[in-house]
Amino acid sequence: MRRAALALLAVVPALRLSAQGFPTEPPKPTRLAPVRFPPFKEATLPNGLALVVIEHHEQPVVSVSLAFRAGAIYDPAGKEGLSELTAELLSKGTATRTAEQIASTIEGVGGHLSASSADDFLTISVDALSDQLELVFDLLGDVTLHSTFPTSELELARTRSLSALALQLSQPGAVAQRFFASEIYGRNPYGRSPTRESYRAVTAEDVAQFARERLRPAGALLVVAGDVTDAQVRDLVAKAFAGWSGAPPSGPALPAPITRLAPEILLVHRPGSAQANIVAGNPTILPTDPVYYAGRVASQVLGGGADSRLFLILREQKSWTYGAYASLRRHRGLGYWQATAEVRTNVTDSALVELLHQIDRIRTVVIPDSELTAAKGFLVGSFPLTIETPSQIASQVANAKLLGLGDDYLRLYRERLSAVSGLQARAAAARLFRRSALTIVVVGDGARLYDRLKAIGPVRIVDVDGHPLTPSGLNPPAAPVALDLAQFAARLDSARVLVQGNPVGFTVSEVRRPGDSLVYTERSNLGNGAFQQQTTLVLDPADGSVRQVDQVTTQQGQRAETHLTYAAGRAKGSSSAPQQDGSVKRFDVDTALPPGTIDENAVPFVVPALPLAAGKTFTMTFFTPSENAIKVLTFKVGSPESVSVPAGTFQAFRIDATGSRVPFTMYVTSDAPRRVLKTEFAGQPFVVELVK
Amino acid sequence: MRDVGVLGGVLVWLAPALAAQAGRISYEAFTLPNGLHVLYSEDHSAPIVSVDVWYNTGSRNERPGRSGFAHLFEHMMFEGSAHVKKGEHFQLISRAGGSENGSTAEDRTNYYETIPSNRLNLALWLEADRMRSLAITDENFHNQRETVKEERRLRVDNQPYAPAFIDGMTWPFDSATCFAYAHTVIGSIDDLNAGQLSDVQAFFDTYYAPNNATLVVVGDFRPLELRRFVNQYFSEIPRHPDPPPVSCASRVGRGPMRRELTDAHANLPAVMRIYRVPPHADPDTPALELLNVILGEGESSRLNVDLVRREKAALGTQVAMNPIDSRRGPGVLLALAIANQGVDPLKLDTLVAAQLDSLRAGGVTGEELTKAKNTFRSGFIHGRETTLGKAEELQHYDMFHASPAEINTDLERFLAVTADDIRRVAGKYLDPANALVIIVKPAASGVTQ
Repeated sequence: MRRAALALLAVVPALRLSAQGFPTEPPKPTRLAPVRFPPFKEATLPNGLALVVIEHHEQPVVSVSLAFRAGAIYDPAGKEGLSELTAELLSKGTATRTAEQIASTIEGVGGHLSASSADDFLTISVDALSDQLELVFDLLGDVTLHSTFPTSELELARTRSLSALALQLSQPGAVAQRFFASEIYGRNPYGRSPTRESYRAVTAEDVAQFARERLRPAGALLVVAGDVTDAQVRDLVAKAFAGWSGAPPSGPALPAPITRLAPEILLVHRPGSAQANIVAGNPTILPTDPVYYAGRVASQVLGGGADSRLFLILREQKSWTYGAYASLRRHRGLGYWQATAEVRTNVTDSALVELLHQIDRIRTVVIPDSELTAAKGFLVGSFPLTIETPSQIASQVANAKLLGLGDDYLRLYRERLSAVSGLQARAAAARLFRRSALTIVVVGDGARLYDRLKAIGPVRIVDVDGHPLTPSGLNPPAAPVALDLAQFAARLDSARVLVQGNPVGFTVSEVRRPGDSLVYTERSNLGNGAFQQQTTLVLDPADGSVRQVDQVTTQQGQRAETHLTYAAGRAKGSSSAPQQDGSVKRFDVDTALPPGTIDENAVPFVVPALPLAAGKTFTMTFFTPSENAIKVLTFKVGSPESVSVPAGTFQAFRIDATGSRVPFTMYVTSDAPRRVLKTEFAGQPFVVELVK
Repeated sequence: MRDVGVLGGVLVWLAPALAAQAGRISYEAFTLPNGLHVLYSEDHSAPIVSVDVWYNTGSRNERPGRSGFAHLFEHMMFEGSAHVKKGEHFQLISRAGGSENGSTAEDRTNYYETIPSNRLNLALWLEADRMRSLAITDENFHNQRETVKEERRLRVDNQPYAPAFIDGMTWPFDSATCFAYAHTVIGSIDDLNAGQLSDVQAFFDTYYAPNNATLVVVGDFRPLELRRFVNQYFSEIPRHPDPPPVSCASRVGRGPMRRELTDAHANLPAVMRIYRVPPHADPDTPALELLNVILGEGESSRLNVDLVRREKAALGTQVAMNPIDSRRGPGVLLALAIANQGVDPLKLDTLVAAQLDSLRAGGVTGEELTKAKNTFRSGFIHGRETTLGKAEELQHYDMFHASPAEINTDLERFLAVTADDIRRVAGKYLDPANALVIIVKPAASGVTQ
């Protein structure tokens, strides 16, 4: 035996050595064991509740989710956000437990309870160790059946939702998604988003009624996964939900989404935007359509991640963007697909043309085998990574059940993806990515984007609130807006600065008319001297244009000064700005300015002197010395409303300004002499209010 | 307070048999002749496997003037090696359906992949190739140095409260006696700029050696096959001389310290209290971890109930013990509170201090202790649900405990903690003489724009 082995070794020494040494190429996959989706039991209870139990005894944990057809699409028109607020309030008080008691009960056993709302479903989730199963069902039953929706908790939740919305509207990506949804879905509820008005319209009774009507067992899905038995769960469900019955009213009829006959570009004008956010796509298919698998492969090749075409070309090759992606999204109703990219303004047209070219290419050219293998490798290979824990398995089962994907969906998911051929992927792309009826939304600086985009397709323009604009309304005025000279009268205003309702300092502004000149000064002191600023502007009494700026800022002991003159179309002088590390950055300014440019420090002087009238929009160019930057600000004037500040109650125009670093809203008295009553900053806790 | 009785009844119920068995991990260990230590644990519940390599190095091994090197090095590990081109590591793992990442802490640097089990060989091969032949080139070094500087700007310099948090953790330690923990993991921009390619090479030669690493594999594999792959890919990598030891002389309670900071990104003031705590292996650690939960974890914690709900003085609170990872040397316990609109940070600090003082003076209730034990037990079990979670736990016990076998006995130490233990450690470590108080004030810029 020994001799035979030695002889054999002598015959194949080289082979053996290379097999044992370090391979110079990535090793090939070994045999793939079949992936069996973990077994589960399902039943529909007499009250119509669907129950899935996934017994998984590896660790003593349990994860429970209860999903209702009560997502955002069921919000009544005008009360968008109702489902979201209902979810938030479910754990904030029941007939026998306060919000604090609910929290300490579940945390007392090391568990978590929360509820959330998405487009189709409202879901209550509880996680705990499995020895707490009784308590889990006690709490789940309590918040589902006996929530009281206290008014104080509603106000708290509403305040939080409103600040989150304000922040969202200052972010161009979120603005793009809101417009894209309403463009592709039209009046279909998948196209709606909450607004300030709709959040404010929700009452405690609305929430209670929504919960009463929609949180019903028929059509709801309860998934229990972990170290439990089917019998145990059925027993606890019977106890926790005894006597519960009923079905939610049938959902709203879903109007058909808009069908376009040709691609159309919606340009959302966001003056001063540093980038353009592009979203392109269209409504697609119902979740059960078998074209999904080939479509999933095609969208993975097009833009599924860092290994996909859009990312590799728009980012790696062209350096136009930080990221570019495509995805196919499912709803219980009609889904959609989208491709997205945030690009530098001056390459927006090139990027959009390239993106459209890539859509054309995947619709017409069969995907090469190497790319097809890579994409399927990711999609098929990563599936087992998503079913490791009971809660992950539960979410896969819930997703399949809620979307009505059929009993064999999870079992055959990998097989069906593996079977997709290059031809099938091309056919799916041709059907799903409706190139000739594409909706394209671009959020960015319209003045710099309109000409670039109109060469690609017909362009409609709106402002961030959705009001239509004309191309001529985009360009900053060649000549300064004529200010109302009657508003240049001498005055002295004191205002206080509030941070979330608490005074932190004051600002005093004064218009003086020494001789025939015009001087505006502003003095601020916040945090007992932590921040002090004194600004003096010398203005031209004939038109209000700025001639000279002198500003001294002291922040935490650091002093920054700005001294500029405006003449012959240039700002010249020096400026400085405190930096976050406590230092002061000083720089010289010698900047050419578009005609009519005004120093940004003059905003509180200029706005009351605009020829204000309800519904008017003013666009003006400003120079910001602390950033050495030119910005285009847009002021939109609303109808006069009653505004109360410490100085009294006045009729005032609401003026929404965009284009500055932080968007802000000013309230200016409608009667002369006009005064600034209040200034609010979007997403910031600061308010400035007139005291006298 | 209405239903404390009912709640208490629920809370004191703990199933001891379950507690002892839950989260149990069986494992095997072996060491290659070149010193590479290997631990593995089979788990066939899903057809996936996690490969997790810990190098016994982190910011504690850096020398003065070269802070940030361990983390810079972590970036270099994704830039290619003899048989793997730049960017290919990510691509190979992704096309196999896997996920991967790495991270740097004070005491260790980890690299891991979770991948379908038939690609175990790929993950091991990739780890072996970079251990044996990392591409240390000028181009990769300069490129990654810029990336790390950008990462510091993005994650620390440009985030509210992050400078106070990141830098503050190092202030309880003296550079002269304990440089290991007196500087940050991310390092200083100046030190990064001062680095030379030769420093990077030296760091690799000293610390990225098989005898300074532990490989853990958890998941769906056959042990014989694993041993064959490990031998084939790792056994030829030469052993390096052992790295020099790290020293740190630090003592608890060397007198109170106080600092004020201005934060340009913060809209609201904040206070942070940092206390020196002993090395992870110290017998006081379980009681300190439970104290940490009672003080600040969850909506029903002392800080949240008192500062956020009752006094409405804080927008939110947070506590943490060694937030990056455990340490073999002295560590920190932090309590952070962000002030509500217009609340004086000094008043807020008084409220935080009052909560800490009441723990020292009055200890904790039986209900609080039970809640903390349940929370800890739950986290302990949830941390062992995934193959990667188990792999990280094995690494943790291997590095920070006397033996990895403690992975199956450690929970008992926590469940044995008494209210007296908590009061004792509160008295010892929450002593004002052991505190560093940091007051963060927002810069008021932006208010008047």
